[in-house]
Amino acid sequence: MSKILFSLTLAATTFSAGLALAQAPDQADEIIRGRYQAILGDCAACHTAPGAKPLSGGLPLETPFGQIIPPNITPDKASGIGNWTEADFRSALKTGIGHDGKRLYPAMPYPAYTRMTDRDIGNLWSYLRTVDPVFNPVESNQLPFPFNIRLSMMGWNMLNFAPGEFRPDPSKSAEWNRGAYIVQGPGHCGTCHSPKTVLGADETSEALQGGSLQGWYAPNITGNSYIGIGSWSEDEIVQYLKTGTNGHTIASGPMAEAIQASTSLMADEDVKAIATYLKSTEGGPAQKPQPIPASDARMKVGAAIYHDTCSACHGGDGKGASQLFPALAGSSIVQQPSSETLTRLVLQGSQAVHTPQAKTTPSMPSLGWKLSDEQVAAVLTYVRNSWGNAAPSVGASDIGAQR
Amino acid sequence: METHCLKRPTRRQFLSSVAFTILAGSAAPVMARSISGSLPWEARSADPPVQVKPGGWLFFTPEEAQTMEAVADRLVPADELSLGGKDAGCVLYLDRQLVGSYGTSSRLYTKGPFMPGLATQGYQAPDTPAQRYRSGIAALNAFTRETKGGKRFAELAPADQDAVLTDLEAGKITLPNKVDAKSFFNLMLANVMEGFFADPIYGGNKDMASWKMLGFPGARYDYRDHVSKHNQPYPLPPVSIAGSMEWMTR
Repeated sequence: MSKILFSLTLAATTFSAGLALAQAPDQADEIIRGRYQAILGDCAACHTAPGAKPLSGGLPLETPFGQIIPPNITPDKASGIGNWTEADFRSALKTGIGHDGKRLYPAMPYPAYTRMTDRDIGNLWSYLRTVDPVFNPVESNQLPFPFNIRLSMMGWNMLNFAPGEFRPDPSKSAEWNRGAYIVQGPGHCGTCHSPKTVLGADETSEALQGGSLQGWYAPNITGNSYIGIGSWSEDEIVQYLKTGTNGHTIASGPMAEAIQASTSLMADEDVKAIATYLKSTEGGPAQKPQPIPASDARMKVGAAIYHDTCSACHGGDGKGASQLFPALAGSSIVQQPSSETLTRLVLQGSQAVHTPQAKTTPSMPSLGWKLSDEQVAAVLTYVRNSWGNAAPSVGASDIGAQR
Repeated sequence: METHCLKRPTRRQFLSSVAFTILAGSAAPVMARSISGSLPWEARSADPPVQVKPGGWLFFTPEEAQTMEAVADRLVPADELSLGGKDAGCVLYLDRQLVGSYGTSSRLYTKGPFMPGLATQGYQAPDTPAQRYRSGIAALNAFTRETKGGKRFAELAPADQDAVLTDLEAGKITLPNKVDAKSFFNLMLANVMEGFFADPIYGGNKDMASWKMLGFPGARYDYRDHVSKHNQPYPLPPVSIAGSMEWMTR
């Protein structure tokens, strides 16, 4: 008897599932395109905590104003966005105002997502409806007074926010425009890579010229050949975004996560378009400054520490080893105005990103136990001013803050 | 006897063995960890050796330390090549080793049976290095008191100390309390050499004295820049795990 009942239930389930699919053939395409939008937008980077169910809420983001926890955006009615309408979602991405008129904080990069096309947002919404609903209540707003007053974002938006869809530049190629759209819109590259104003908004006049966040310095990614990605060919940029490594460098930190969850999964032509666009952008100093002379006392100490501690992997000539150890000579991350990322790598160590094309994940050991603040400052000053590199010296006081 | 061999397992034995097999089988996947994607990695992970700092003895009594310093200075005498074993910190090294896992043999199998082994099999007796130094130094001083006019080893003239050590090494001396003279000498010699040549971070080899003497470059691990420079001396000074004087910022 129970067997018959089971077969009947099974048949009924199969039938109804088949019916659902048969009813919405177009939606399948939409959902698939929406899933790709979620990759372009790297929703998971913030909204999925490591090891947690997809999009069920993320790890706290440290902002200069306090902590914000990325919310649960699964279709769960009680704790996710199950009660939202498509109009709510569109409004959140286009204007920063969500369900019930709740104002979002720009840690959610709506200043970038506002550039997205209606079609892309619609597809993304269709995809988000299909994600497994997860009950996980998250109180996003952990900010201290007065930042915890969401209405204050009204004033912020008036000062800092220019809503509106991306407008293609007809004088440029379709590929360039596609790249600009991804970088400025769904890819929201500037959220990390653009410097911030005192109000935490992107400094639009210095877009993609490098910014500091969460204890990392996201480097200049304009076409500047001294400090940006100008010295990389388009193919090398593509290789970096697809695999996390090219002959020059290896991604780590938040960029490693972005590569793993987003850029490595993008369509080849989209990554190519990003490279084309980034190469065309300008920003940062045109002239390299004079390097600090090797006779400087800090440089001498730095040289000794470098040759005793770092050269085994990065080489006496700073050239590293392709795919295994990043080159320091000519590296743009090494010569950024801020040494925040370098300090972090030396103190904490780092592991290379894992992608299907680059599985080795070589790692740099933590040297924080071994080097004093003065010694880290000296070796970084040396690395930033040797083999043709030139960048401001690093002070011991900059190191202590990152211990 | 025969009935024993032919005894069939009872139903209970059979069932419990099956249950055990199933339990053991299902426990195995829990114990093994499968790693896919990137290798496990943690920021700031390090297991550095602790820098030994001089100041006080943690294992030796002052008299024992004095004896060992005298021994170290005869095994590694100060000369035009290097400083002596005492000033190089060999006894400081040894003192810290004896209060650590080496002294207590805590990383070795130390249960019986205890049988005399071949020379190639190493030390086979139950005493730990800490116990051997405690009884060995006492036996050495008791021996010199008895045979050298009431003097402790450290109070003897260097030539007399050399004579005693030479006889110890040759096994010509019988130490009291069944201490094996030859074996104790070899223990001291090995440990003093370790202190003299090991990284200064462990308390001996002060200022990398032995490495400078030998021209040993220290804790380095890459020589690609120098491999092709034939018949040229290696230019860089030795470096310890803890760094070198060249790293001093002031």
